[in-house]
Amino acid sequence: MAAEKKLHKQHRTASNVAAYIALIIISIIWLFPFVCIVLQSFRSFNLEPGGMVNYLVPKTFSLDSYKWLFSGDSQFFKWYGNTLIIATFVAIGQTIMVLMVSYALSRMRFKGRELLMRFWLILGMFPGFLTMICLYFLLKNFGLTQQGAIPGLILISVASSGMGYYVCKGFFDTIPKSLDEAARIDGASRARIFLTMTIPLSKPIIIYTALTAFMAPWCDYIFASYVAFGCSDKYNVAVALYRWVNTNDYQGYFTRFCAGGILVAVPVTILFMCLQKYYVEGVTGGAVKG
Amino acid sequence: MKKKVLSALLVAAMTATMFAGCGDKKTDEGTTPATQGGSAETQSEITDYGSGDIKIWVADNVVDFTKEKAEEFLASNDAFSGYTVTVEAVGEGDAAGNMITDVEGGADIYGFAQDQISRLVAAGALQPIVGDYATWVTENNDADSVNATKVGDQMWAFPMTSDNGYFLYYDKSVVTDPSSLEQIVADCEAAGKNFYFEINSGWYQPAFFFGTGCEFTYETDTDANFTACNMDYASDKGVVALKEIIELASSKCFQNGSSWDKATDCAAIVDGTWDSAAIKSGLGDNFACAKLPSFTGSDGQTYQLGGFSGFKLLGIKPQTEEGKAAVCYQLAQYLTSSEVQTARYEAVGWGPSNTEAQAADAVQSDVALTALREQIPNDVPQGNYPGDYWTLATSLGDTIISHDLNTKTSDEDLMKTLQDFQDTCIGYAK
Amino acid sequence: MKDSKKSAGNKIAGFFKWIGRDIADIGVTFKEGDWKTRLSFIIMGFGPLMRKLYARGIAFLALEIAFFYYIITFGWGYLQKFTTLGTQQAGWNDAGLRVYGDNSFLILLYGLLTIIFMLAFILLWRMNVRENRKEELQLKAGHPLKTNKQDLHSLLDSNFDKTLLALPMAGIFVFTVLPILFMICVAFTNYDYNHQAPSKLFTWVGFENFKNLFSFGTAGFGSTFFKVLGWTLIWAFFATFLNYFVGMAVAILINKKGVKFKKLWRTILVMTIAVPQFVSLLYVSKMFANDGLINSYFMKWGWIDSPIPFWTNPMLARVVIILINLWVGIPYVMLITTGILMNIPEDLYESARIDGANAWQMFRKITLPYMLFVTGPYLLTSYTGNLNNFNIIFLLSGGGPQNMKLTGGAGGTDLLVTWLYKMTVNDTNYCMAAVIGIMVFVVTAVISLIVYGILPSVKDEEGFQ
Repeated sequence: MAAEKKLHKQHRTASNVAAYIALIIISIIWLFPFVCIVLQSFRSFNLEPGGMVNYLVPKTFSLDSYKWLFSGDSQFFKWYGNTLIIATFVAIGQTIMVLMVSYALSRMRFKGRELLMRFWLILGMFPGFLTMICLYFLLKNFGLTQQGAIPGLILISVASSGMGYYVCKGFFDTIPKSLDEAARIDGASRARIFLTMTIPLSKPIIIYTALTAFMAPWCDYIFASYVAFGCSDKYNVAVALYRWVNTNDYQGYFTRFCAGGILVAVPVTILFMCLQKYYVEGVTGGAVKG
Repeated sequence: MKKKVLSALLVAAMTATMFAGCGDKKTDEGTTPATQGGSAETQSEITDYGSGDIKIWVADNVVDFTKEKAEEFLASNDAFSGYTVTVEAVGEGDAAGNMITDVEGGADIYGFAQDQISRLVAAGALQPIVGDYATWVTENNDADSVNATKVGDQMWAFPMTSDNGYFLYYDKSVVTDPSSLEQIVADCEAAGKNFYFEINSGWYQPAFFFGTGCEFTYETDTDANFTACNMDYASDKGVVALKEIIELASSKCFQNGSSWDKATDCAAIVDGTWDSAAIKSGLGDNFACAKLPSFTGSDGQTYQLGGFSGFKLLGIKPQTEEGKAAVCYQLAQYLTSSEVQTARYEAVGWGPSNTEAQAADAVQSDVALTALREQIPNDVPQGNYPGDYWTLATSLGDTIISHDLNTKTSDEDLMKTLQDFQDTCIGYAK
Repeated sequence: MKDSKKSAGNKIAGFFKWIGRDIADIGVTFKEGDWKTRLSFIIMGFGPLMRKLYARGIAFLALEIAFFYYIITFGWGYLQKFTTLGTQQAGWNDAGLRVYGDNSFLILLYGLLTIIFMLAFILLWRMNVRENRKEELQLKAGHPLKTNKQDLHSLLDSNFDKTLLALPMAGIFVFTVLPILFMICVAFTNYDYNHQAPSKLFTWVGFENFKNLFSFGTAGFGSTFFKVLGWTLIWAFFATFLNYFVGMAVAILINKKGVKFKKLWRTILVMTIAVPQFVSLLYVSKMFANDGLINSYFMKWGWIDSPIPFWTNPMLARVVIILINLWVGIPYVMLITTGILMNIPEDLYESARIDGANAWQMFRKITLPYMLFVTGPYLLTSYTGNLNNFNIIFLLSGGGPQNMKLTGGAGGTDLLVTWLYKMTVNDTNYCMAAVIGIMVFVVTAVISLIVYGILPSVKDEEGFQ
């Protein structure tokens, strides 16, 4: 009996060790690219080439690339600011839109509701890039390209965001309807219930929606460059960084690209880590509800 | 009254080369642009040019230079006081794409590489260069660069540089004989270093085909429609060239690329003058350059690699206001003048197209430009090629790099590939 | 699903019957209506206004005025040219300056908008007629009409959905519906690099572009289209299911009893979500290049003699992309499955253990069926999402390597959506891009329909309430 227990224990320890080894390998694979990017960003710009090199660890560590980004030679902080503005407004706008749509679809029963949901589902099956040229000229019509690219990008991101209601509606569906009914018997209007009952109960989903909305503009290099072309004041940070590695005009900008990437990634990552709990709830809820 | 003067000038020129948009009105081809009217100086007698902002797009490294020069120009004449300039860094590749996407939102004056001119004309993104300006361009620039500004018989841009060709940069300590492709490959392999040649680019790839004597040109009408294609890639010469590319791609030192910035362990690279400064600082004392090497083909003969000699051009977008059009013409003329081209060479090393600027001692003794000058006799002046060609050439190059075509592929299959390639290219000309 | 198929024919018949009834109803409204109602047929909202329902009346009247103002000052001019998309091409005037003519792009866009507005106006008019009828009947029956105040207040209560949905629907209409309709129209025109508005005109060409897509000559798109489509489907399959199973395995590993620092492991994985992909994937792409870090080190260490063609060999590139996609996708799957795994009742496992089941059997008999049931919809959305997974392909291989056997600039790893992007941005071949876009839609829709049919019904909306 005791021997069996011991065997069992040994077996368990062995499998735990295996698990740890697997997890450590996984962690290394997952972190490796980030470590590389960090290392590249510290490569000395003055003493070593700024482009691609075939070694990993810089020969001289320095903050040259960061210094350059902070210096007046680059518009990096202008772009950073632009992105921050876009991300903030998009986060607010999208959250409001999504909450409005989700509440209406979850709580109200009206003619054409099913039809509307099916119609939006079908719309979602068209690839987004298809309409890029059309959106560009629509925005141009409102004067929201080039010089007006920032409000333009916010408008585009917010305007159609109502279609992304699934996760939030799924969440609202789980709030018992009896709460609403009780409040209605007390004479509260739908609007009142929405504003004073549902919204305060929805903190996790609001944070989730806002967080995903906030993160998206940091990665938008395609549409943003399409809308802001020829107007470097209005670039967002992704457009500018992407140009550094993708256009031959910029020689030796690779370390700067890495440094810029780190400066973008750090705040977003920190924010993400702090709000991870809500993100997980949202993602899981969305997956289960479909 | 300024309108009268300018229109008199332009009318004379434009009636000669009038463009009627509607298809059935045929353009008068072959009429030489009229030369009457005043010179650039007489135009500046016009006193009221109106006001506005002139947007200029140039490559990132000449943004400051261009801004300085353009502001100097506007300051030089009180009549231009109503104008300001905005200079943006939009690379030559992006500029054409953006201009085509939205002409109205694009720059008034923009730099682009010659290969884009037919696309730009077809999309209506260029203002024709006529009358005195055309005469001025013809008289002051080298003949090939003047041809490069033309689609059909119409001139569409001001030549800015005459250095858009490629040649060999190499590391003296590795490459012993830069005149032989086989030797370069052998040296690089021995040293474990890389040799960069962007064979999947429609611009570098013809180096081999032109080297063995193949022909490949298009004819265009004034509307930038491709009317005919002269091409003989699908021939024994073509097969020799293709085999040589395959041979090169099979070497372990071969890397596909033409950007110093993205090259690692590079001992030799086929590249242009724009990378010269970066390569010089990268290779230090071992920096050297030469014309492209020659190679011994599969038929035992020795061929000198050819290539494209191309040009950077400065174009004006179609203007709707007379005053602004006049300022744009003059500004573009100034930005491509001998004085500015010389200054630009001194600032960033771009080889001038202006004959006077070319004659300067500094330009004559520039190592990179000298290598290019030695290469040019073997080159084909780059004419107009349809946009689809560049994509197709990438396909051919990628097929070789992925070893779908390899040293074991039979001559018949190679010929068939070239025949397909040629048929498709000819198909672009309708 | 099945019901709707059966009754498709009935539905169409039903629709026409409904139209017939509706027209009859309009006639009845006019015949039986008083002068206020009859005048409302021309001046919308007249009836409600006379019946002191100012809110409704003014809304109808204002919309009518706005509609006619739009048509007269703006829409009609574009609508007239809609059939030709313009005839006056841009040219040069005597002074050598640009004179822009018709802009086919704007004619198509605003022509379309005008048509939509006209249809909407017909609906609005019908609503106006029905409103009058309703009011009349209500008054006849002796019921008082709602006051304006009640009317407006209902927008915050019983009609709150209208208030909530007005803005989102307007936004979606202008920035999603209209552009999609526009691009569907473009698929039937010759809008490409040789017909670029505003300098050149483009016009209707019927099914020419579709013929081109399904033509199988050397320059035809046919064989390329099916090759790209094939890879798109295969890619989406692997990207979805490989990620799903490996991700689940990682989640199980982290959840394993006895493994400590669960949060740390999770956080490490989740970092890939937070770091922008254009930074991380672009770097990974360079890392695997022929002259990149991995090849350099392998050669330095003497493991290989010549570079491994990660991106230049199409087969290898596909495999590498699928593997790198694991790196991107596993964290999501891990997050999703962790929560669900913990929801599986522990006693199920207990009883299985007593029956002597080993870990693998338990996984197969308990965990997997449960997971598949719960995450079925997720798998579907994930599959359709992967069909259009632009970022991974674009940033890693750019769709390359191209091949002489593929036309239209397509490469060995191009998905339909990256091919579409290349056509839009590099080649400005909008009409072919639109055709491909429609094809992407068709493929996505067909797959969704099939899978919805197979899935166990978990779409019970009211289930949780």
